Amino acid sequence: MPDFLVEFDPDGRQAYISEQDNLLQAIAAAGIPLKASCGGKGTCNRCKTLVRAGKVKSAASGKLTEAELAAGYVLACQSTPESDLVLEVPEESRLSEHRVVLDGLPAGESNAILPEDEGLCKDGECDPLFKKIVVRVPGPTLEEAEDDLGRLFRVLRKQIGADHLRADLETMRSLPAVLRQSGWQVAVSLTEARGYKAVGVEEVEPDGLARKYYGLAIDIGTTTVVVHLVDLETGVSLGVKGTYNRQAIYGDDVISRIIHAVENKDGLRELQKAVLATINELTADLLREHDLKATDVRVAVCAGNTTMTHLFLGLDPAYIRLEPYTPAANSIPALRAHRVGLKIYPQAWVQCLPGIASYVGGDITAGVLVTGMAFSDQMTLFIDIGTNGEMVLGNKEWLISCACSAGPAFEGGGVRHGMRAMRGAIEHVRIAPGGMVVDFTTVDSAPPVGICGSGLIDCIAGLYSAGVIDRSGNILPDLKTPRVRESDEGMEFVLAWSHQSGRKVDITISEAEIKNLIRSKAAVFAGVNSMLKMVGLPLDAIERVIIAGGFGRYINIKDAVGIGLLPDLPLEKYTYIGNSSVKGAKMVLMFRRAREEVEEIARKMTYLELSAGNTFMEEFVSALFIPHTDLSLFPSLQPQ
Amino acid sequence: MAVTIAKERWTSKVNEMVIGVEPNVVKVGGDSTLPFLHFEGEMPNKPVVALEVWDMEPPDWPAVLTAPFAGVLGDPAAWAKKCVEYGAGLICLRLAATHPDNKDATPEEAAQSALKVAGAVDVPLIVIGSGVEEKDAAVMEKVGEALNGRKCLIGCATVNNYKTITASCMVNGHNIIASSPLDINLAKQLNILITEMNLAADRIAIDPLVGALGYGIEYAYSIMERSRLGALTGDKMLAMPVICFVGQEAWKSKEAKTEDNEEWGAQERRAILWEVVTATSFAQAGGSIFVLRHPESLKQFNTHIAEMMKPNNY
Repeated sequence: MPDFLVEFDPDGRQAYISEQDNLLQAIAAAGIPLKASCGGKGTCNRCKTLVRAGKVKSAASGKLTEAELAAGYVLACQSTPESDLVLEVPEESRLSEHRVVLDGLPAGESNAILPEDEGLCKDGECDPLFKKIVVRVPGPTLEEAEDDLGRLFRVLRKQIGADHLRADLETMRSLPAVLRQSGWQVAVSLTEARGYKAVGVEEVEPDGLARKYYGLAIDIGTTTVVVHLVDLETGVSLGVKGTYNRQAIYGDDVISRIIHAVENKDGLRELQKAVLATINELTADLLREHDLKATDVRVAVCAGNTTMTHLFLGLDPAYIRLEPYTPAANSIPALRAHRVGLKIYPQAWVQCLPGIASYVGGDITAGVLVTGMAFSDQMTLFIDIGTNGEMVLGNKEWLISCACSAGPAFEGGGVRHGMRAMRGAIEHVRIAPGGMVVDFTTVDSAPPVGICGSGLIDCIAGLYSAGVIDRSGNILPDLKTPRVRESDEGMEFVLAWSHQSGRKVDITISEAEIKNLIRSKAAVFAGVNSMLKMVGLPLDAIERVIIAGGFGRYINIKDAVGIGLLPDLPLEKYTYIGNSSVKGAKMVLMFRRAREEVEEIARKMTYLELSAGNTFMEEFVSALFIPHTDLSLFPSLQPQ
Repeated sequence: MAVTIAKERWTSKVNEMVIGVEPNVVKVGGDSTLPFLHFEGEMPNKPVVALEVWDMEPPDWPAVLTAPFAGVLGDPAAWAKKCVEYGAGLICLRLAATHPDNKDATPEEAAQSALKVAGAVDVPLIVIGSGVEEKDAAVMEKVGEALNGRKCLIGCATVNNYKTITASCMVNGHNIIASSPLDINLAKQLNILITEMNLAADRIAIDPLVGALGYGIEYAYSIMERSRLGALTGDKMLAMPVICFVGQEAWKSKEAKTEDNEEWGAQERRAILWEVVTATSFAQAGGSIFVLRHPESLKQFNTHIAEMMKPNNY
């Protein structure tokens, strides 16, 4: 069966695919970043591609317009080649540079929770998972002719106080020569890997010749991946890089990724390859920038949600999605990098942070670690809002967690003009009473091309306070503003007119989308309230709220409370923590104690399965209102 | 040993709604206890029955149901009079002809029908549309206007069309039926939306969209019970009397529609029992207004209620 050559213009890339493969596979193979929110089902219309030359067969054309079809556009996921092809992936189909939350707050804003990088390793208190120490080993004599390894271990035991030590075959092979060449003063690489009781002696080098050593802290998010390259001696992140997760081409959310993994022959492998490629590329970029070799990276810690961890390791994710929702593994022992596929020192240990359940993973235990809530008296609510809303409530006595599907709306999915927080996304909105005038700001102050999660929250809050929608999200009849109009898909509100927009079309939000967002916010609030009900605490028992995740960065807390997404607590109780997943990974990388803590957190945390019982559904329906059916839960919003 | 009667102390009560104009008013609600616990609190008004009248001949009513109305089914005014003769405390006019699949009658035509019925009887009126939300809004705007000042109970307002119907009630002095599908939160949400338009809370009746015996009656029962408990414990947005459209549900059931047969016995007796048992169950759950279809059901229901309303002082 012939393979067809697919060339991409203007990228200058190419790929070979068979006549059974669809164009999306060619695009993936050529490494062109593309959105395919629906995971190749032909429903999201986001993989629109122009066929410049050659013949394709399209099974479906989705919502492509007559004009687009005439111009030669096809849906990549629905089209197979019938000849060699030249394709152009239009700008709007591509993932533009993603606004990834690499870290906490921008300069100038205080970050009380975790001292920034420079402070992570004060007074030599760091205790990383991999370190090199210099030891002087007394040479053998006729009277005292103990073997070389025994001699080294004896010194190490005394110096680091470890009972159990373990040496690699490679170490033993090189040991006699290194000891003697270096005059019995050597640098010893020590690691402690989860699941192995002993401290491992990984390498022995002559003192003075030992190379510096580095580690990676990796956040594997469904949407984005962030890598810190960390100097293990100082705890300083030499560089931080983040990008979208290449798995995006197989679907927006964990469920569509799981479906891809389960329903396609090589699905799991494709997903694993995609995320590895993402991480390895970021790592390679970081190493290049700092003139380091892959072998200088001696340890990596990864934090990801349960599905991401499964896909990263090639574990079968099928049962995460099916009742009763069991992951293959929550607590994963340390694995060698070459087995995992990370392009660092092959024998380096890769440590994945432990998860709790199918929908509360290592990214959340990492977050709890960073907040310190598991060791604090204060009753803390930790929320990571993304496609899945994950939340943890508790203090040093107990921790309870739950996860609810907030839907993709906060990440810009499921909304026609929705987008992630990328250039040109409307991120803040103000609407004048009656809905006549709309003020907005966009990411990078670019002309608006869509609206992102924080903008959507502002938008709902604004539409309600402007009297454009009622508490149920219905657009009210008889409004005088030209911004409210009838469309093919029901009533809609115009946020930006085409002449303002960067896409020459009106940017709108429809009544159905507003109601969808209300469902999203209701799910999050209902999750919080279900946990509180479970432990029998009132809302005001919460002493602080810590918000994590990319979307949380831009969120206007007052508006989020106004629409009933977040509990009505004084604003000073809210803190934004940034990417707590990668921060937690880095803490574990730098402190052995933190790894023990994160494991304790995982053991201690109870998981509340919201799909069991009626509480969540009741809470959900009562939260389907702006701000809530029980208005007394939102005292600050009551008319004075 | 003497039995100690446990009595709850409630802090609040159900709103009292007044339908119609003096001297022919019907009052419902006002309860300060669970239904029929006369020893514990007040139940100042008994549950009332409205019989259904249509503005067109009902196409799918079985013969056992049309028989009592023979000769008047094509004439809403005469039909309404007949209902009053049968003892109906109120008339519930269903404007079925406005349904696009029926005659698609205009709002103006509907208003004419309503006026005719209002002119023919003294008892208070309930007027409902065909259940097509958008059409109902347009119809109730005109009907409300035509019946201005008669303090009718009109509906059914849903989350999608409450604005227009509420406005019509406010301008023309009517009460409103707020319909939501068997969920205490959704009921409360609609009540909030309507009161926020400044219609007084005591002019709203909750329609929880009940099901008949064998068709989800338990669910409806528990929703009504919960809303009554909410009302008694001070939730102002659940303190509305409840209207139960029992006739439409009971007569939709297989048990009511199946003709005489050996196994199930006579249809008439069976169908009426189905309607009566559904209605009396909901009376126990806290329903205040019952819209029934068969005059015999009305009679049996009222007999039951008369017994239940006897004081039970311990």
